[in-house]
Amino acid sequence: MSENRIEEDNAVFLDADYDDEEPAEEKETDLQAEQEAIDEQLRAAAEGLLFLTGDEGITAGMLAEVLEISEEKAENLLEGLQVYYLNDARGIEIARYGRTYKFLSKAFVHPYAKKLFQLGKTSVLSQAALETLAIIAYKQPITRAEIEEIRGVGAEMMLRKLLARNLIKEDGRSEAPGRPILYAVTEEFMDAFQMLSLEELPELPDFAGDGEGSDELF
Amino acid sequence: MKEFTVTTETFDGPLDLMLHLIREKKLDLLNLDMNVLTDQYIAYLEAMEYSQLEVASEYLVELAGLIEYKSRRLLPGFKEEEEEEDPKERLVRRLLEYQQFKEVSDDFRRLYEGRQMLLGKPLAQEAEQWMNSTGDMKYSGTPYELMKAMKKCLMRMRLSRPIETKYTVSELSMEDREVEIRARLDRLPDTFTFETLLDDVKDLPKFIVTFLSVLDLARLHILYFSVDESDTIWLKRGTGYE
Repeated sequence: MSENRIEEDNAVFLDADYDDEEPAEEKETDLQAEQEAIDEQLRAAAEGLLFLTGDEGITAGMLAEVLEISEEKAENLLEGLQVYYLNDARGIEIARYGRTYKFLSKAFVHPYAKKLFQLGKTSVLSQAALETLAIIAYKQPITRAEIEEIRGVGAEMMLRKLLARNLIKEDGRSEAPGRPILYAVTEEFMDAFQMLSLEELPELPDFAGDGEGSDELF
Repeated sequence: MKEFTVTTETFDGPLDLMLHLIREKKLDLLNLDMNVLTDQYIAYLEAMEYSQLEVASEYLVELAGLIEYKSRRLLPGFKEEEEEEDPKERLVRRLLEYQQFKEVSDDFRRLYEGRQMLLGKPLAQEAEQWMNSTGDMKYSGTPYELMKAMKKCLMRMRLSRPIETKYTVSELSMEDREVEIRARLDRLPDTFTFETLLDDVKDLPKFIVTFLSVLDLARLHILYFSVDESDTIWLKRGTGYE
């Protein structure tokens, strides 16, 4: 304790002594500390808002508007929080799907949650649903006829089911005869398949023979 | 072909079946022997019929294509020039493309299953009450929007009472419930959420009766409903109310 005080006193004394010589640097560190405190508070506010919005989530745009900061800054805050929660000591994480950030419990918590809430089976998508979604995701916007051509199977019922689950949406009409409806994937699709954007789609395997190892399957 | 056995495996359409046959018979997809494929395809459909499985029309469409190709080949002096694309090439192209999506759907399945392990919580209830309930909402919507919103309501109800799973059969008719709701309408604000009506709901049957009653009241124009972006169902008194 007493040692500390002496150091403090010394510091004050030294400050006074060199006051005239290094004022610029002094102010800079002051400003920096101030900025850090503000940032910390903003980050804490972002954390609180993320908590409140639950699985609706929040976008950098929304956060920027509320905190009156730039969208870039909001994105930085959210990414900072994301990194913070990556820590293995935390049971929740901040996921970003599409443009939305949200708090989710980590995967290792799931077995316990299953016990606590007596969760039933997790929802599944049929092979047909997955194939249809894959085709739409890679080829959107796409008409029903085009999907049917690829799968060789009628797609009307499937499209209706996927619309009902909000994984796809109608996205205007094609210029083709009859002006058929075009389909595209939704933000919910991004969430369901853990994607930031369609750029994250897995690469399509190459079977046509211009790639390596493509003939092995036959 | 006599030792053909019917697999219990189900196929996701004719192209899936063809890919299976190609793999099983070790055919070269890039240099496809259409005769073998056609024979195998027919044998499979016959076996399906033999075991009294209904052959879906999609399979027959592709079958017609295969047979057309084969019969044209048998015609003397057959010329292909009027074809835009050789049917064989077209089929191979379709098989290759379909195989790509079939393959990549495994990745999709993995991502989807991984996502199911991560659980979120609904929007804070208080926050929902702050949200502007007036404004210029359109009091209409598609059944899909309503379905989605209902699913969320059910989720919220389940999450708010996680461990108790007692079900008692309470007999409450829609008519009775409608009377109860109508009696409450006077005391409710101009617009209110569907959840407001769930205050006294403790079990699933009552939840459903309440929902059906709201639908019926909407039909009678006593209530109007709207679903907003966060899937909250908003209600207001309609023109049929007194």
